[in-house]
Amino acid sequence: MKSQIVTELERIVGRDGIVRDDGELLTYETDGLVKLRSKPGVAVLPTSADQVRRIVRLCHENGVPFVARGQGTGLSGGALPHPDGVLIVMTRMNRILDIDIPNRRITVEPGVMNLDVSKAVAAAGYYYAPDPSSQVICSIGGNLAENSGGAHCLKYGFTVHHVLGVEAVLPDGELVHLGGPALDPPGLDLLGVLVGSEGTLAVVTKVVLNLLRKPAAVETLLAAFDSTEAAGNAVSGIIGAGIIPAAVEMMDRVTIEAAEAAVHPNFPKTEAILIVELDGAEADVSALFTRVEEVCRAAAASEIQIARTAEQRARFWQGRKAAFAAMGRVSPSYYVQDGVIPRTRLPEVLGRIRDLSDRSGLKIGNVFHAGDGNLHPLVCYDERIEGQADLAQEVASEILTYCLDADGSITGEHGVGADKAEHLPKMFSEDDLDTMQLVRCSFDPGYICNPGKVFPTPRLCGEVPGPYRKHPAEAAGLAERA
Amino acid sequence: MAGSSTAALLDQLAAQAGHGATVRAGGDKDAVDGVQPRLVAAPADGEALAATLAWASSEGFSVRVTGGGTKQDWGTPGAPVDLQLSTAALSRVVEHRHGDLTATVEAGATLAAVNGRLAAHGQRLPWDPPWPERATVGGIVATNDSGPRRYGHGAPRDSIIGVTVARSDGRVAKAGGIVVKNVAGYDLARLLTGSFGCLGVILTATFKLAPAPPVSRTVEVQVDSLEDAAPIAADLAGSSLTPTSIEISWAPARLFVRFESVEVSVAQQAAAACALVGERGSAVVLGGEDERAAWDRHAAHWSPGGTLVKLSTVPAELFPTLVWLRDRAARDGIEMAAGGRAGLGVVDVRLNGPVDAQARLIGDVRGRLPLGRGSAVIRRGDPELRRSIDAWGPVGDGMRVMMAIKRQFDPAGLLNPGRGPGGL
Repeated sequence: MKSQIVTELERIVGRDGIVRDDGELLTYETDGLVKLRSKPGVAVLPTSADQVRRIVRLCHENGVPFVARGQGTGLSGGALPHPDGVLIVMTRMNRILDIDIPNRRITVEPGVMNLDVSKAVAAAGYYYAPDPSSQVICSIGGNLAENSGGAHCLKYGFTVHHVLGVEAVLPDGELVHLGGPALDPPGLDLLGVLVGSEGTLAVVTKVVLNLLRKPAAVETLLAAFDSTEAAGNAVSGIIGAGIIPAAVEMMDRVTIEAAEAAVHPNFPKTEAILIVELDGAEADVSALFTRVEEVCRAAAASEIQIARTAEQRARFWQGRKAAFAAMGRVSPSYYVQDGVIPRTRLPEVLGRIRDLSDRSGLKIGNVFHAGDGNLHPLVCYDERIEGQADLAQEVASEILTYCLDADGSITGEHGVGADKAEHLPKMFSEDDLDTMQLVRCSFDPGYICNPGKVFPTPRLCGEVPGPYRKHPAEAAGLAERA
Repeated sequence: MAGSSTAALLDQLAAQAGHGATVRAGGDKDAVDGVQPRLVAAPADGEALAATLAWASSEGFSVRVTGGGTKQDWGTPGAPVDLQLSTAALSRVVEHRHGDLTATVEAGATLAAVNGRLAAHGQRLPWDPPWPERATVGGIVATNDSGPRRYGHGAPRDSIIGVTVARSDGRVAKAGGIVVKNVAGYDLARLLTGSFGCLGVILTATFKLAPAPPVSRTVEVQVDSLEDAAPIAADLAGSSLTPTSIEISWAPARLFVRFESVEVSVAQQAAAACALVGERGSAVVLGGEDERAAWDRHAAHWSPGGTLVKLSTVPAELFPTLVWLRDRAARDGIEMAAGGRAGLGVVDVRLNGPVDAQARLIGDVRGRLPLGRGSAVIRRGDPELRRSIDAWGPVGDGMRVMMAIKRQFDPAGLLNPGRGPGGL
């Protein structure tokens, strides 16, 4: 990193807003995907949109790549720093700016934690729906970049369904305002493509979120099954009965044992459990809950526990949400995969994963959003054993091919990032990827905004062929060419 | 194009449009806002449609994309058109994965036809925009149009999970997929939703579906004025009831609150809604034929004639804005009616009256709505009105990026020129 640029950066963010010491930079060399490491050239911690704008402008003028980072909980290396670039750490922009209960909106800076949004409006009877397992420690800016989901997105959708507006800095350092508290802003749905673009299109500096009224009733049950296939059949049965629960989560023996060791949720010792939660109007919940119970019994559930109190419900969810972290109890290392399959293919694909586990000799735990068909196989390995890390990587890749064989996706919520960019062409043709990158070229023709993520090969963004026709707004002097 | 005879062009067009395609010269009945295409084609399938686009692009022909033609007169009046390209022959339900609650549909299938198919397994696209018998899925997606059920089920952009699109150069690309949860690659499906065909021609789209509920009941609330409707609508939206629609219809002032679920829930919630209204209005619970008739009456708000302005505000500002509009319209000699999503702050305002007075009214209401906190978009109306005042109103500083995207996708500016959102 040129010292002149570092000096300029320090002028923008102040001495306590810049990290350039090699040792201190180690803090930022990885995100939640620890196998990928890269130390940034320099890290800055801006406190305002204006600072972000000036940082990005400086990068733009000097052709320096930059990467925005939130809490660094991402699991695909989306916030992996560029070794010659600027890492823009957004954690200091963490204010809740406006709470507007009559309009069911909240405006926050991107560094606000996901769970803090719900906490801020809980007393008024509202909440923010997307609830990734990491919601205590992940921030809204990262959620937006990844289009984060969570257990309850089966019924309520993902981040993209709940973000109504943003203020963002484009890769040329200009500030834009997309959407806002009102629905249907005129123009192309840039928010729709910005959410989930993994930090490759802009740096978001302010977010308007939609709030939901807390449901009148919530019922949660836990059903035990003798096999993951039987549990998978129960999932199909629930959806097939026309019931959309708030959440349907599955854990298998490996992850049940891990969760038990870590947080003692007192789950049945069995091959598979489902946690099914219904919410909504009281009459709906009680009527449909009975049917969910029937479906589980018809699918040969060996045991059904019903959460009678909020504490019992919290215990179920604590066990589920702790499962990832708890895997450390049963394996020195693990690799999480995030493939998605049509939910009717669950029994078949889970069977293939079990065979793969037997064949490879690696333990594979499954804990996932079964209602969405979003698998999270945890491939366990011990890096002290020669070759096992590589084997785990191969096994994880093999699981992705099962998902693609079932017409699924390589990622449901963790993102492509740096980790799965090489897999994207297995899912999309050259024309598909080229078309997606037309969007990238529109936002970031200089290819400096989180380069190397999502797409395995960048598209050249030179002038496109064909006669250029001046846009009426341009002709009228209302806008300039980007 | 001046160099080739129409007959010669029709031969070339037929060669692209595929076996069994409709190919003909444009006529009076193809005119939209007085603009008549020289050529008209309904290619036989998606591949042929893409080939036709590639041919049009190589000839430098401007293209008007059409499905059921129900919304051709929306937005900015179009520029001259060489070729009108219809998705009419792309009318299949490609696959209904009922166990997965998803379906892939060709763009030219009408909403009614698709829902007829999905009903076989008790499922549906939970949308109810105007003209379901004629409006195609492609057109509904391209305009992100919706109806009363948007309150409970969202707009098309909330249901779409995958898309196949033909670019202006004829290349076919897909994004998303058939699974309900998927963050691989950019979300082009949402970018194309509401893009008014200015970026590409949607060939197929995949959606998550909703189970068709066994029972529906609607609470119709009569009140004396918009002012009286406002607190009731706010209380309903702020309650923990789960209606699929909260509609305002004016004048006279009525709220329609729909519940769709199992019998016991629908009955309880309708009763709770009546209790919530209390003495503030006269509430009746409608079911069966009475309910259908009430919704048909409400749908008449979207019947042809007059100007239709989509007014969007933050929910709490909707009624004050409508009241302001009502009083101004009365003063200016403009007839006004309103119908739409009271719970969401998105209402279609219908105007009739002198064009210059309408233009002033629309300009002034826009002046009351800060960017991001509201908009007033002219959907349809006298072409003179849509020429005298920008149909879209201010878009804001994002316009720069939208123009860049338009240039990337359609460098020669051939697709639905000028008809895209913001005049793209």
